[in-house]
Amino acid sequence: MLRVNEKLVLALPKGRILNEVMPVLRDVGIEPEAGFEDSDDRRLRFATNLPELDIIRIRSFDVATFVAFGGAHLGVCGNDVLLEFDYPEIYAPVDLGLGRCRLVVAEPEDMIGSDDPATWSSLRVATKYPTLTQAHFAGRGVQAECIKLNGAMELAPQLGLCRRIVDLVSTGNTLKANGLVEIEQIAAITSRLAVNRAAWKTRPDEIGHWITKFRGAVDGDAA
Amino acid sequence: MTNKADKALLPAGMSDVLAPDAAFEASVLDRLLADFAGHGYDRVEPPLIEFEESLLTGIGAGLAEQTFRLMDPVSQKMMGVRADMTPQIARIASTRLINAPRPLRLSYAGQVLRVRGSHLRPERQFNQAGAELIGADGAAADTEVIVMAADALGRLGVTDLSCDLGLPTLVPDFCRGGPAGEGGDADLQTRLRQALDRKDAAAIAEFSDELGEDTTGPLAAMLAAAGPASGTLKTLGSLGLKGAAQAGMKLLNDVVDRVQAALPDLTLTIDPVENRGFEYHSGVTFTFFAKGVRGELGNGGRYQANGGAGSDSEPATGFTLFMDTVLRAVPAPELRSRVFLPIQTTAEDAAGLRAEGWITVAGLEECGDGEAEAARVGCSHVLDGGKVRKINKSNKE
Repeated sequence: MLRVNEKLVLALPKGRILNEVMPVLRDVGIEPEAGFEDSDDRRLRFATNLPELDIIRIRSFDVATFVAFGGAHLGVCGNDVLLEFDYPEIYAPVDLGLGRCRLVVAEPEDMIGSDDPATWSSLRVATKYPTLTQAHFAGRGVQAECIKLNGAMELAPQLGLCRRIVDLVSTGNTLKANGLVEIEQIAAITSRLAVNRAAWKTRPDEIGHWITKFRGAVDGDAA
Repeated sequence: MTNKADKALLPAGMSDVLAPDAAFEASVLDRLLADFAGHGYDRVEPPLIEFEESLLTGIGAGLAEQTFRLMDPVSQKMMGVRADMTPQIARIASTRLINAPRPLRLSYAGQVLRVRGSHLRPERQFNQAGAELIGADGAAADTEVIVMAADALGRLGVTDLSCDLGLPTLVPDFCRGGPAGEGGDADLQTRLRQALDRKDAAAIAEFSDELGEDTTGPLAAMLAAAGPASGTLKTLGSLGLKGAAQAGMKLLNDVVDRVQAALPDLTLTIDPVENRGFEYHSGVTFTFFAKGVRGELGNGGRYQANGGAGSDSEPATGFTLFMDTVLRAVPAPELRSRVFLPIQTTAEDAAGLRAEGWITVAGLEECGDGEAEAARVGCSHVLDGGKVRKINKSNKE
């Protein structure tokens, strides 16, 4: 039983997105304790100015898992991660509009034009998103054999692991620098406020309060 | 398989339930079923395995992927192991109990087997307990099963229970006549359903090109309205719903009023777009959660019970509780004290102690130090000179 977790826990992703999330956090009135933004601080759980809310700092893939299992009640993660796991226990009620990028299929420049996608029956792809990739290709009758990598997907075609990759692209510079070209988009990606389903149902007032706050912060930015 | 570890390994999602959990589960099940029986729900017990054609038709159709199948060498027909007991109860109601007076109240409990566990429930075999009210329509019937389930859980000691109401017909009724409505674009419906299931507000907004703001606006409002019942009803009321959607909302309102009157302490929320797990439901649905407990304690709702293709269907509602989650929410039982009886103890004395509520553990051979032996076999007390005495833990090696 998770009775000890009477405090609400908000899971935030480490790295690039965190810098973009901080202003939104301050907009909704959450001020983490000192040390949270210091990447040298080895702690994983931090208090905030609100006694009823703690923050944890974890990898973005783990945000989805912590929220799905109810370890964290709220979280911020990209819909790439949400789509990859597709946990039925997670709701994503607010699009924070942060970390905008795209999930795309890319292949080496010199292959463009020389092969016809309509003839494919199976292909090998290096990706961090095997489930999404398989579903995407299965949708048009192609069996995708995925090589799961956790980073530096762009190296895979060069070093002969496979010829195509599925990866996140924001500016396209990394692809270009490695001689790859985007051939199609699978999904547009932004960060979402993720909410644990059971927490929303059992603590509707508190969770509802935060959803409204975050929604307000996002709409305020848009105006 | 000579190795001990090989023998111990069970298939994924299967487990041995040991003491004291096994006895606890049995006692919780007994209390639940006694509660249902007290409300006039007669217990029935369908078999573990049925012919596939009867198990997977009607409301069982959605369970095909989750059902283990095997071939019956006798009839040469395909059989399925039940993945859910509700379709079996519906079958019983529409066949063997077709002439029983309506409304028909039935309760059941048993093990089910599923092909795949989920992230939150990796178990592939678990106990279900539930009740079905068949042949009755309307808010009074919906309320009866919700209140009975909530009350039974409360009596087991589940605290901070909350009930999330849904109406899976609301979105289809609202979309009727448009491209996302019945008979419209099937692919569009699937994508819209996915977005609603994930409560993905951004994805709903993207549909405005295909469906128009007139549709996505209210859908987004319904999605955002999920929360405490009174607030949700207010939002739904302001959307100017028409026809079947409006009638559905009125019914939901009526159920909320009745449940609140019966159980003022129950946290009631409404999720107007909830559909996952309610694919065959045709009216008010509900899901039970307990604060701080992972997963659903149980769910249920209104559906059309039919015994398969061709037979008449009748309105029904009911619920299923998932015992693995329920047990996580029920406070751990107080363990009964165990007393060790040295071999000299008479049968009469032993029976007397059991009548007083002790668990007696009999010694089968002479042992020098009764206290040490009591500690070794897990007893808290020892019978010494005709008196029950608590053992001194420090004697335990």
